[in-house]
Amino acid sequence: MEAAQALDFDAQLMLRVKDGDDDSFRLLLEKHRLPVMRFVYRMVQDQSVSEELGQEVFLRIYRSRANYEPAAKFTTWMFRIASHLALNWLRDGRTERERSFSLDSRSDGEPVREFPGTGFSVEEEMVRRIRLDEIRQAIADLPDKQRAAVLMHKYEEMEYSQIAGAMACSESAVKSLLFRAYETLRARLAHLAGQK
Amino acid sequence: MNCPYRNEEEMDLLLDYTAGRLDPAGAARLRTHAITCPECDGFLRAQAVVWKALDEFTAPRPTADFNRAVWRKIGTAASESWLTRLAQICRPLVPLTAAAVLIAAGFVYDHKPASLTITVAEAEQIQHTLEDLQMLQNLNVTAAEVPEPLL
Repeated sequence: MEAAQALDFDAQLMLRVKDGDDDSFRLLLEKHRLPVMRFVYRMVQDQSVSEELGQEVFLRIYRSRANYEPAAKFTTWMFRIASHLALNWLRDGRTERERSFSLDSRSDGEPVREFPGTGFSVEEEMVRRIRLDEIRQAIADLPDKQRAAVLMHKYEEMEYSQIAGAMACSESAVKSLLFRAYETLRARLAHLAGQK
Repeated sequence: MNCPYRNEEEMDLLLDYTAGRLDPAGAARLRTHAITCPECDGFLRAQAVVWKALDEFTAPRPTADFNRAVWRKIGTAASESWLTRLAQICRPLVPLTAAAVLIAAGFVYDHKPASLTITVAEAEQIQHTLEDLQMLQNLNVTAAEVPEPLL
């Protein structure tokens, strides 16, 4: 009984999904699609691919319902699936993706939604776009596992133990990945210190 | 200079501080330390730049069709798995069917109609009969060819 109470709410929902309750799956989908999409998008940096992979994450969650055991936090399990899919996609298509992030040709045709045009001059807009492309490129250039660790640490605010669970490695391995990744990013992005 | 934060066990405190995940007492200790430690001070400043920069990398929201697409895929996967299950059920039947066919073929072979099987003796007897018939036929022909005696 205490063990059941100690389960996080998501794990309880997933246990209901296991018992055939599709409404609980709808709740999980609604709650977690955004973090999953955010993570996968930042991993692959392609909107249509991240949409596909994000859907695949939830398909796998649903298909695994019969064997689900709440051994870890639900989000840890979910990000394990997400990182596995993203890392596999990156591994399988590496040569294709070895492309330059040209300022003129964004690979994913993403609209410039970060800059809604609220009072920025053309020059300011250009500076901001260049800055953003540098940040995107710095993240894209990280080795895949370092990138996954940084994204979970920075954007999903996951603890080291959770990241370790999601990446199927030890906590010390996660810390090592993060230190190396942030070290690279500090060197790459140091020149942004004085900018707005 | 021996910096207490520059070892493997404590290094993550520097990251946690920038991430705002250090408890207030720990954060205060680190701030005090950084005043007298240029290395840690430099680390924290550079890490803060990275942290702020990463905030600018936003991600798009899922499209309006996202949930529907997930349910579509679940539906497709369910029908595929139904076919897969059927195939799995049928798979053990393949050798069983093959065995049944072999048994049936053997049964048919062993139970051919008796009229179709003849022994060597019977074959010889037929041969002799055919030869006798041939001889009689020859005799008839010869008799017909002999002219009647002139009286």
